[in-house]
Amino acid sequence: MSNVTLYSISYDLSHAVVFAVGSLAYGSWRAAIDSNAVVTTIAVLVFAVILLAASMLNTIVLIWYERKLLGRFMDRRGAMHVGYAGLLQNFADGLKLFRKHTFAPREADDLGFYFGPTAYMVSSMLIFGILPISSGWNSGALPLSLLLALVIFSFAPLFIFVSAWSSNNKYSLMGGMRSAAQMIAYEVPLLLAVVAVVLVAGSFDLSTIVYEQQNYWFWGPLVVALVVFVAAMLAEMERIPFDLPEAEAELVEGWNTEYGGMLFAFFMLADYLRALVGSILVVLLFLGGWTLPTWVPSAATSFPLAGIFWFMVKTYIVFGLFVWVRASLPRVRTDQLLRVGWNRMIPLALLSVFLAALLVSARCLPVFGCVPSLGG
Amino acid sequence: MTEELTATEKPSDNPVLYVARPMATAARQFAKSLLRPSTIVYPYERLEDPKFREQVQVASGKPIGVGAVWDNYRGVHALNIATCISCNLCAFSCPDLCIEMVTVPGGDPKHAKKCPEIDYGKCSYCGFCSDACPEGCLTMTTRYELSTPKRSEMVYSPQKLYEVYRTKLPMNPIRLERPANEDSILLDPPLCIGCNACARDCPTQCITMLEIPKPTAKPGEKLPKRIWKEPVVNDSDCVRCGTCVSVCPKECLFWGSRR
Repeated sequence: MSNVTLYSISYDLSHAVVFAVGSLAYGSWRAAIDSNAVVTTIAVLVFAVILLAASMLNTIVLIWYERKLLGRFMDRRGAMHVGYAGLLQNFADGLKLFRKHTFAPREADDLGFYFGPTAYMVSSMLIFGILPISSGWNSGALPLSLLLALVIFSFAPLFIFVSAWSSNNKYSLMGGMRSAAQMIAYEVPLLLAVVAVVLVAGSFDLSTIVYEQQNYWFWGPLVVALVVFVAAMLAEMERIPFDLPEAEAELVEGWNTEYGGMLFAFFMLADYLRALVGSILVVLLFLGGWTLPTWVPSAATSFPLAGIFWFMVKTYIVFGLFVWVRASLPRVRTDQLLRVGWNRMIPLALLSVFLAALLVSARCLPVFGCVPSLGG
Repeated sequence: MTEELTATEKPSDNPVLYVARPMATAARQFAKSLLRPSTIVYPYERLEDPKFREQVQVASGKPIGVGAVWDNYRGVHALNIATCISCNLCAFSCPDLCIEMVTVPGGDPKHAKKCPEIDYGKCSYCGFCSDACPEGCLTMTTRYELSTPKRSEMVYSPQKLYEVYRTKLPMNPIRLERPANEDSILLDPPLCIGCNACARDCPTQCITMLEIPKPTAKPGEKLPKRIWKEPVVNDSDCVRCGTCVSVCPKECLFWGSRR
């Protein structure tokens, strides 16, 4: 089973389908259908569909997971009614949103109003094509996949601003402005924290970064970078306590005030897609991706798809941390967010870069491989 | 809530504590409610269930519903149709006009039996109707579940109220302490025409029409055209509902003291 990759599965599926269709055809038609180009094209499409389905399913389960966790933090149960322990509640909600009439305000700019949520959704989905979730389970070895992921991740405030502005609503516009303003405060420390990881790993390729964590996970030597990265990621995902653009106590519903039905569902899904991507990035950069520490018995890593399983477990634990933060902390003010970003997070991130450079140049990183609790 | 914050509740200036303290509180809450949150899954679990007895603080001997918490609870009415005398007092006393007297089968042919039909969309659960009921057949129970997808189902017919009565829920008859009504029904004889309306409509049948001697007409005087009978009220049976006063066409019956 170790040779099974996402691409091999989609290639086999595509080959079987093409072979079945081709066996019905004659002569030159069969040759045309059975050609390698057709098989590869369909394989890529199947690949995309599998990614789409998996990411959507994960997103919906993530919403359920957050509702249940938040419920326990608030001494209640969360969704209980539809399905076992409310598992199907979000499917019911999605179905309701799907059936609702979508309309734009009369004075809204239609192009931006419909382009915004769609582009937000698409840009969030794009990142899933880049992220590796287990060895071999990625779309290909891009040498700069980490940079590409962060670049696509940073597109979102632009689309939020476009949809907020074209809604022609003052609350939407305020939310969009806040989203754009807050981006500057957290992008810099986020990228500086990533620089520390890249210095230690010596690569921008996410798969390589994970392979570099075979001996020790990076959260041990780079604990300062981890703190900065998680805080900046909370702001990047616009979750509480940094959900200023959506502050429902002040701005009705922030930048998605005017959206309803499926367009709102797009925003909601994309928000949780980004939360999932954020958790995955934390796992990939600091928690060793799909690898497990060497002192774990090999039975835990030898079953089929063990890499993906442990990867998802780690991702959900990291997302649980985000929910914990959401349940505990109040929303910060804009000036507080800017002060935290510029006055505290950027010096900390610079410190982490300095520490990483020191560790690499002093060649004392192997020390961390001897501490079993650091993983690897 | 103008009390000053205690020292432990003051927000800290230390940024680490500022984050760590609420997160520790949330983690404690999470650990506490991980097994059993304080909420109950209401449609599937009910506070009436004995396993929640401690939670609702009801002494173990008492049935839940009349315990310390719900001692004076006023929910859906229970109506015992068999003892209802159709006196109309509940409808009279209702401040929301949500009670309508509707005919139910079982009355004698002359005297239709009418029982209250209650519209819970209007009812304010004041309990005046139960207090006014002379026979104690309209009481309030501890039933609190009234939600329904149809507005018309908020109107409870007498039969439906009787079904509530048959469930034997803990009843809460509203009985206010007050001096008994000493007034009686009095008659102004010259006005009466002996029409029998009061005797016909009296729910307790305590009015009987007694014949009175027809006076002999003096020459030149014209006797009034009437039936030579007059109502006599049996005070011990009268529930003082006032039906006779309201049905009298000549307004010759009124409230007053015999003394």
